[in-house]
Amino acid sequence: MPDGLILFGRALWQFAEPITLVYILGATLLGVIIGALPGLTATMGVALMTTLTLRMSSSQAILVLICVYVGAIYGGSRTAILLNIPGTPANAASCLDGHALAKQGLAGRAIGISTTGSLMGTLIGIFFLALFTPILGDFALSFQSFEFFWLALFGVIISANLAGDDALKGWIAGFVGLFVTMIGQDGIHAYERFSFDNRDLAGGISLIPALVGAFGFAEVIGVMREVQHKAIVHSIDSVLPRFGDVFRYWRTIIRSGLIGTAIGIIPGVGEDIAAWASYAAAKRASKEADKFGKGSYEGLMAAETGDHACPPGAVIPALSLGVPGSAPAAVLLAAMIIHGIRPGPLIMVENPQFVYEVVVMMMFATFGIYFYGIFLVRPLISVLKLPRTVIMPIVFVLCVIGTYAIAQRLFDVYVMIFFGVFGYVLRERGYPMAPLVLGIVLGDLLDKNLRRGLVITDGSLVPFFTRPICVVMVTIILLTILLKIPAVSTAVARARASLFAGGAR
Amino acid sequence: MERSPSAQADLRGGVIWIALGAGIAVLSWRMDRLEHMHVNPYTVPGLVPGLLGAGLVVLGALLAWRTIHGGALARVAAPVGVDRIGDFRVVATGALCILYATLLIGHLPFWLATTIFVFVFTAAFDYKERRTAGTLARGLVVALIAAAATAAAVSLVFEDLFLVRLP
Repeated sequence: MPDGLILFGRALWQFAEPITLVYILGATLLGVIIGALPGLTATMGVALMTTLTLRMSSSQAILVLICVYVGAIYGGSRTAILLNIPGTPANAASCLDGHALAKQGLAGRAIGISTTGSLMGTLIGIFFLALFTPILGDFALSFQSFEFFWLALFGVIISANLAGDDALKGWIAGFVGLFVTMIGQDGIHAYERFSFDNRDLAGGISLIPALVGAFGFAEVIGVMREVQHKAIVHSIDSVLPRFGDVFRYWRTIIRSGLIGTAIGIIPGVGEDIAAWASYAAAKRASKEADKFGKGSYEGLMAAETGDHACPPGAVIPALSLGVPGSAPAAVLLAAMIIHGIRPGPLIMVENPQFVYEVVVMMMFATFGIYFYGIFLVRPLISVLKLPRTVIMPIVFVLCVIGTYAIAQRLFDVYVMIFFGVFGYVLRERGYPMAPLVLGIVLGDLLDKNLRRGLVITDGSLVPFFTRPICVVMVTIILLTILLKIPAVSTAVARARASLFAGGAR
Repeated sequence: MERSPSAQADLRGGVIWIALGAGIAVLSWRMDRLEHMHVNPYTVPGLVPGLLGAGLVVLGALLAWRTIHGGALARVAAPVGVDRIGDFRVVATGALCILYATLLIGHLPFWLATTIFVFVFTAAFDYKERRTAGTLARGLVVALIAAAATAAAVSLVFEDLFLVRLP
């Protein structure tokens, strides 16, 4: 622990320069604006900003991206409260009570609750980020190829199971994502796969252009499909967060913070699930459950605390295992790799200070959203009135020039266009995007480790199924798949019902 | 507006995934096994993509089977909740963006291509509303200012600050 404190102190000292403040306030504001614009997500914001921060130092770039990430989740709550439209999917649960409060003339109070929940949620998540990342990193040092293979598959399967309504479509999206990484030279023999003698394809599909397309361009198309909703801004009462709320709802805050962090740690399961799970748990435990959905302070607090505890939670496996906990964390992971940082089990050996730098960055982002939550509520409401006919072409110009700037080749722009159209069609057909992203991030890990593992065992699959951690992961994967088969889930539900009925007798 | 995918679309999707997976599996099977380099047979480049292709065939077949089992073929393909205006906006957005990224970029100076794109995009999507409100001329001026400002700002930031040679 003293080592951790020293590293934390050093990380804090590293950012002790005025320019840090400019980055925090600028990036958080950008994140809040992106989050507040319905249809644009945190993933899109982080992906786009990754291309715009290539020339910065690694610490500054990751600071900017984390501030955009946290800011976007916070910004989405404004739209949820004032327009009843979640600014990002993470804020869907906040619509229920946030907008109900706004209709009662308590929009400012709702924004204050949202600010308090965001602050507390992020702080709880940060605590576990600092605590668990080194522990998980040390634990992962015992991982070999067998465990990494299952970890990659585990991420895609679990994410597909929880990220959307249809697990089967999620698995398909995940497999497509995994396949995308097979294009180009393979990581062991440098053999060109699926390149069809095309020099650009032989170089492989870069992650960031694919993600900017799947989120940036696809979201531009999605946003332009709908006619703009007119911002009906209710009278805004006092927006100041009240510390009394922290004491009044401390149980809800701690419960939602723990749920949000835990869901963040699960690969590919993002802020939206964290918010809904926190909301549902708060409703079950509340003495005022009947008020939920009609303007409950507690309900809004639970949703906002849960979704904000998720980003630090999602960064824990990204840093310690190289497996992102959410779609924005996947982009963050890619950005870290671009900037020469190697997230994974060795991070606590090679670059332990970076873990604490991320902790400090998350804290700064929290202060950023708190600042805007107090001082810039009313001006930021005008963001909701920005005409999308002006904003969306600008976003697309940034998608184009951002992807081009990475390697200064037009092929990346064409990749972005392809994934934009492909991503939009998949979304329209009900395929979730998180497994696709996770597949693209984890494909290389899966490919190399399956083949390496088979070489180590001379073709035997036994260690893949008998090593203790492998057994746990295989069991979870199998249960996850089996429980999605209607006949199996019905039989399990029936068995559980008869068991409880027997117990009751 | 929430749009749920139709059963026919899922069935088509299932067939496409089966075809794609089969194609990947066949190409993987026919991929060079690098025997002349005496590589370990468990590290052949086609192993993992081949497994993924096979997996995609299985998942696509499950999707198609589930859809057929749910009565997709029995139902008349009646278009449910057709959103023609929304579809038109999607096609228009996609077409304008793709034209900009593939035809204008690389063939015209970046600032000119960007000015044309932002101006046309904004003016086209604002046209109906502006014409109804009788502010067409004002709308065109707003579009032109937004276009010129975007082109200037992006060119300046990327060329002078990030030192990117623009396409």
